[in-house]
Amino acid sequence: MTRSTRKLLDKSFSSLGVFSILFMAGSLVVILAPIVVRGAGAVAFRATAEHRRMMLEQFGAGDRAEVEAETAAVLAERKPLFDMLAGFRIEMKSMPFKRKREFEGKLAELEGRIRELFGPLPGEPRPVLPRMRYGQTRWDRAKVKLEAVLFTETYDCSDPTKMGVLVRKPRAEEFEGTFVAALFPHLEAHAGEMLRPRFTIYWRFFTDVSRDAHFFGGIWPELLGTFYLTIGAIAFAVPVGVLSAVYFAEYAGQSIVNAVLRMLINTLAGVPSVVFGLFGLAFFINAVHLSESKSVLAGSLTLALLVLPTIIRASEEAIRAVPQTYKEAALSLGAGKGRAVATVILPAALPGILTGVIISMGRAAGETAPIIFTAAVSVGDPLGILETLSQPTPALSWNVYNLSTEHQKLDELRHVQYGMVLALVAVVLILNMAAIILRARISRKLKG
Amino acid sequence: MNGRRILLGALVVLLPVCATTGQEAGGRKAKIVVDGSTTVGPIAKAFAEFMMDRDQGVKITVAESGSGNGAKSLINGSCDVAAMSRFMKPEEFKAAVDKGVLPVAHAVAMDGLAVIVHPANPVKALTTAQIADIYTGGVSNWKDLGGPDVKIVIVSRDTNSGTYEAFEELVLRKRKMCEGVEYVGSSGAVRQRVQTTLGAIGYAGLGFVDRTVKALEVDGIAPDRDSVASGRYPVARPLFMFTNGYPKLGSALHSFVTLHLTKKGQEIIEAIGFVPMTDYR
Repeated sequence: MTRSTRKLLDKSFSSLGVFSILFMAGSLVVILAPIVVRGAGAVAFRATAEHRRMMLEQFGAGDRAEVEAETAAVLAERKPLFDMLAGFRIEMKSMPFKRKREFEGKLAELEGRIRELFGPLPGEPRPVLPRMRYGQTRWDRAKVKLEAVLFTETYDCSDPTKMGVLVRKPRAEEFEGTFVAALFPHLEAHAGEMLRPRFTIYWRFFTDVSRDAHFFGGIWPELLGTFYLTIGAIAFAVPVGVLSAVYFAEYAGQSIVNAVLRMLINTLAGVPSVVFGLFGLAFFINAVHLSESKSVLAGSLTLALLVLPTIIRASEEAIRAVPQTYKEAALSLGAGKGRAVATVILPAALPGILTGVIISMGRAAGETAPIIFTAAVSVGDPLGILETLSQPTPALSWNVYNLSTEHQKLDELRHVQYGMVLALVAVVLILNMAAIILRARISRKLKG
Repeated sequence: MNGRRILLGALVVLLPVCATTGQEAGGRKAKIVVDGSTTVGPIAKAFAEFMMDRDQGVKITVAESGSGNGAKSLINGSCDVAAMSRFMKPEEFKAAVDKGVLPVAHAVAMDGLAVIVHPANPVKALTTAQIADIYTGGVSNWKDLGGPDVKIVIVSRDTNSGTYEAFEELVLRKRKMCEGVEYVGSSGAVRQRVQTTLGAIGYAGLGFVDRTVKALEVDGIAPDRDSVASGRYPVARPLFMFTNGYPKLGSALHSFVTLHLTKKGQEIIEAIGFVPMTDYR
């Protein structure tokens, strides 16, 4: 090979490296940027007067006098609207029967849309579900609902041999020439005053419980649940994992039994997580009766089994990487084997062991399948530390899934879903940062 | 030692977390664990929040893992209430009795299984026979049903679902679904698939139908409160909550499974989109 070809090969290799780093950075941006941007939307958004009224009534947050004054003010702004509706109802009474029938349906539809925007109409009884007591609490959602008041969207299916075409018309056309026709331009011009959007940072999203199945409030029970499950899994998996790693690295010989054991652990690492979930249900809950129902304890143990192989492998490698001379020095000073392992080898292997723990923590926090049957519920209160032994908990990973596919009103709650995703990523990041800082300190101490 | 100091720091951070949440832990809180159907889920969740709001000291958790899993949980004694969108099967009853569990059914609401298509689909009505033909593979294009020349994308719930079993019983009448059917895990997912796919057909409980999809008339009857309550709509069923034996009178559990008999309970059911058992107004 000539020098020039070798140079060329070298260069292409390093450019390949640069390319893969750029590719990785790019995909990180593509994945993380929407999570951060849309997740931030759950916390920082333009909140309407309805949000402040809801926060006062449901969570006792905000200044009562101020919110009540604002509520009165926005109701006064909306009054002309409701007057027009009332006037139209009187106007309808004098209409010929057929025309009246025609308008009844249209009016009901219009009122329904206005209810979605502003909450119950004046004089209506207080709805039993909190979600129906308030109008739109977020300005971005309010704009969508405002559009739905101002425009009708129907599919023109007049040709049965083709798929219908979406037709968008101003709703005002339906009511042309009536008393209520003036409602639409008035609403369009004054929607801002009727809802008073104000930029708000809703920090309590992370510390409030949810109201009415995540319609309002925050994600504290989920956040706490994920935290418990992750810490629980690590607390169970690390002692067992490290001890088995010590056994494999220091005590196990080359026997067939050990080879089989090692193979089994490697196989365990490849088992799909849902199998762990079903095992957890069958073993911890149905067979052992660890707790009466699903519980954080059962979920943590299941997650611990899931991450155990990773921790064993990482710890074993770390222990093997400790120079043989360390051990020999300890033994030559008269330490027994156990003492050498505990005081010399394990501390030296700690950074490597922690790497395994870091990877496992992220996995435990994010897994959904193992906790569906063993720990996770869609609605529940935040748990106290003792309750984790017997009670199930909402958790971020499961509730993200629930909100994105199962929830009845999932289209209206996208912001909560993104907020949960952001919180999940943040929890993993924070736990990892803590472990990474710890690892850095330990390795610095080992060197110095 | 640095490591120890960090550990201590972590503990200091953790303790208040545990302390603040641990305060409520003590005392004698009634605890109700609900598991089961994703269709009954919204009712169970709303009932749970209503009760926790009204009766301080009751703690209710609601999981949605499907009717089949709800039944299994009740049989294994790991839940107090199994929310189910179908009745218990004979083999489930047998398994329950063998384990000393006596399932009692509380019908909490009625529900029509709406057959839904994309709103752009010009087809307005189908007969149960036609729907069965679609799901068993006899008809694969909308043009055979008086619609456009578009392939039918068939969406169904998974086989663990009570909604699936109700549909199988009421529409398919024991015939097998064909190969090309797409199975999804929840009613919300059925709606999502149908609202984004022009040629799709799916089915879901009334509470899951909104303006983004179109509910077809079945045998000439549109699914609504009246047609479901009167039994005219052919694909309708009651929704259940099962308990182990009849709950002790006056207990929180009793008040949970009888909430649907109260005015507020019926109002909740109606607000969520299902049909209350009686004409309560």
